[in-house]
Amino acid sequence: MHRKTKKRVRTAKPKAQRFAATVELEPGAPSDLELMKGIQDEDADALSQLYDRYSGILKALILRVIHNEAEADDLLQEIFMEIWNQAKNFSAQKGKPLGWMVTLARRRAIDGLRKKQAYARAEERLQNETEQQPDAWVHNATEEEIVLSDTRVLIRKVISGLPLAQQQAIDLAFFRGMSQREIAAKTNTPLGTVKTRLELGLKKIYDRLKELKDEL
Amino acid sequence: MSFDEFQNQSRLYVIGALEPEELEEFERARQKFGKKAEEFITECYGLHEAFALSLQPAKASAAIKERLMSMVRTRKQT
Repeated sequence: MHRKTKKRVRTAKPKAQRFAATVELEPGAPSDLELMKGIQDEDADALSQLYDRYSGILKALILRVIHNEAEADDLLQEIFMEIWNQAKNFSAQKGKPLGWMVTLARRRAIDGLRKKQAYARAEERLQNETEQQPDAWVHNATEEEIVLSDTRVLIRKVISGLPLAQQQAIDLAFFRGMSQREIAAKTNTPLGTVKTRLELGLKKIYDRLKELKDEL
Repeated sequence: MSFDEFQNQSRLYVIGALEPEELEEFERARQKFGKKAEEFITECYGLHEAFALSLQPAKASAAIKERLMSMVRTRKQT
């Protein structure tokens, strides 16, 4: 098994604290930052641990963009290889390791989607999927996933609190890499309205997440 | 552009949703607001993390990990 659950434990903490922690670690387990430093020093075991911790999240993100299991696996491998190769460019001053990895994975996934000119195929698949489709990926949860699920529930609650039109605009921009004009064309909505939806929706999410962190 | 407007634009910027004409103005404001602007943009990248964490984690293949680790170890040896 590639997943190591021994370093993740679930503890009873307030929701806001669970949100900020993202993945809780046993005492002595390396932090994400320590793992990144290890990778910068070419420690393969650090990469292995980071893979165990975040491959599920990154693969979910890739799948959300490209909707193809086999391509997602290939891309996931390429992304972790890039994490290994580009680790020296990571700076803790510019954000957290997970944020850096997600940014990198999203860019690669959207690039992959465009390069393969797979928009049409993805569109078809997307239309065949319901909003609950991610539930199809459910498998036996490991302990770290249970902890993550608390975070996920919290974030989804914030997102689902937005009007549907705002959710849709953000979804198309973030997960499909669409510009405002592309979203306007796809949803048959005036460009100004798309911009307003994105601005309002992102502000609400940003403010709410900030409040949750500040509650600590 | 006021800093409030810059904040709105920053959130669009980090998800790549600024149109080319907005991007130019954004970059000018970014220069104008300097360190404060960079710190805010860094904060906005937290949205990426949040969107990723909103998803149900997918099952990652053990074979992919084996292949990855093999590639990394090979690369280390060369």
